[in-house]
Amino acid sequence: MNRLMALIKREFWENKGAFRTTPLVIGGIFLAAMLMFLITFNYFDNEFQSLRELLRFIAQTDTDMRSKVLYAANLEISVFFSTVLAFVVFFYLLGSLYDDRKDRSILFWKSLPASDTLTIVSKLLSAMVVAPLIFWVIYVITHSVIMLLFSVVIMVLGENPWTLFLSLGNPFEAWSLVLVSYFAQSIWALPLYGWLMLVSAFAPRIPLLFAILPPVILGVLELWIDFLHTFTLSDNLFGLFGHWFANSPLIMSADKHNDEFGASLGIPITSDFDHQVTVANMFDRLFSSDMLIGLAIAAIFLGATLWLRRRATES
Amino acid sequence: MNYVIEAQGLTKRYNSTIAVDNIDLQIPAGRIVGLIGPNGAGKTSALKAILGLANYEGDLNVLGKSPSKDRAALMEEVCFIADVAVLPRWIRVWQLIELTEHIHPKFSREKCLRYLGSTKVTLDHKVKQLSKGMVAQLHLAIVMSIDVKLLVLDEPTLGLDILFRKQFYTNLLNDYFDEERTILITTHQVEEIEHILSDLIFIKDGRIALNSSMDEVQQEYIELMVPPDHAAQAREFKPINERELFGRHIFLFKNANREEIKALGDIRTPGVADLFVAIMNGGES
Repeated sequence: MNRLMALIKREFWENKGAFRTTPLVIGGIFLAAMLMFLITFNYFDNEFQSLRELLRFIAQTDTDMRSKVLYAANLEISVFFSTVLAFVVFFYLLGSLYDDRKDRSILFWKSLPASDTLTIVSKLLSAMVVAPLIFWVIYVITHSVIMLLFSVVIMVLGENPWTLFLSLGNPFEAWSLVLVSYFAQSIWALPLYGWLMLVSAFAPRIPLLFAILPPVILGVLELWIDFLHTFTLSDNLFGLFGHWFANSPLIMSADKHNDEFGASLGIPITSDFDHQVTVANMFDRLFSSDMLIGLAIAAIFLGATLWLRRRATES
Repeated sequence: MNYVIEAQGLTKRYNSTIAVDNIDLQIPAGRIVGLIGPNGAGKTSALKAILGLANYEGDLNVLGKSPSKDRAALMEEVCFIADVAVLPRWIRVWQLIELTEHIHPKFSREKCLRYLGSTKVTLDHKVKQLSKGMVAQLHLAIVMSIDVKLLVLDEPTLGLDILFRKQFYTNLLNDYFDEERTILITTHQVEEIEHILSDLIFIKDGRIALNSSMDEVQQEYIELMVPPDHAAQAREFKPINERELFGRHIFLFKNANREEIKALGDIRTPGVADLFVAIMNGGES
């Protein structure tokens, strides 16, 4: 346990820029954008003369509708963080077993009494737990600061922030939904993570190319053969990937649910799963037969990764 | 007798080439063994097998463990420095120490800090900010602070200047080595380590060309220096090597009669480097 924690810490130290600085920068950009909005609002040509007038208008709207908009907005703020998190994890895993082979520090890591299995587990956990957790914490902080900022401005402009918006939406609900969705996504994405680690352990150079080219070539071949064969396009690797992406338990887009507009899980173009943001819907995905197949694929990829890692110092 | 390293029929193949060819080897505890051979002779391949970094054929036993199956457990008892440039460049010295402390049960932080105290390396340095010599000092400080039974050094001083190299071996000998420990060193700078070695192994084309203690080497091999007119006479004693230096002929004999040879000219104990050249040039197999 001590060893695993030490190895995870090592991953954090090495990837501080991606794991910590990146979400901090996103939070900073968010806050800067909000500040700019507040400062320059009066100069925009819109139907309200001033921010004060806008607030007065909002205060008169239906509280029920206001709370729904607020709830959706609370969730949607996470999308910015989630998107960047996905990129960070993608490139982190792609380099996870490649960088130390390239700079030959692998010989130092292998001189420590930590098994290759433990090393791989530490890297996988960093991608599945550590990075999402840090992004989530900074998302929560950013969101809190924004709420605080709005409250102060609202107070200064003579309205009551509590009745205007604070009492209408419980941010904790949004926050916990986002956190659960991050972990659900970590499991949902395991086949991809396994593939990226496998490429990282295998690629002699340019892992990105090795990660993307084989599936693309395979997919195109499949399309082509399919087309020659039946003159129709049935399910293939691209379709599979599209489905996987659209069915993700991550909050990615907005859609109508029960005639109400709100955030949605994945992209609501498929009907395999319900896209409304609830924990139950996330779990539906995780306990599906699709997930079972995905886990089997991930296990094969990770097994091959371990096999390669053991032999990484052969030549 | 318990051996630290015990190999029987150790063989390493890369596709069609054989890097290590059926080696038998026994290294007892408390020795400093020099593993010496030309480039491509199979030194690094042999070391990799011993450290569990590569697969091999044959029987290999290091401190009672099988390296290929049990690398992680073996690394609790074995340390190695593969090359000075091998420490990760992004890491800070304090992070390296903390990491080693948590992963290695036999690491002593106090010792490490003491060793580092005599260098210019500070805890806040990143490895990439350090000079090559400082990285070697750092690596050695870490390795010497781990209480293991076997230390393997593969070209540990490559690219270092002579001051660092001398200091490196002095530290190793004074602060680290004792009769419980075994050190296995490969290097091309034979002259610098010959006085600290207790055993010598030459490896040539994947096979062992010589394996004896330094005492044995000093008894068995004699170097004779004679003027040219005595050369023919000396050749009658069947030298294993002959070379010329400043007009004098230098012969190397194995198990020759010391008294008889002495009459021909000056005798002395050959240096490891000269012995190495003689044996590698086919004097003996």
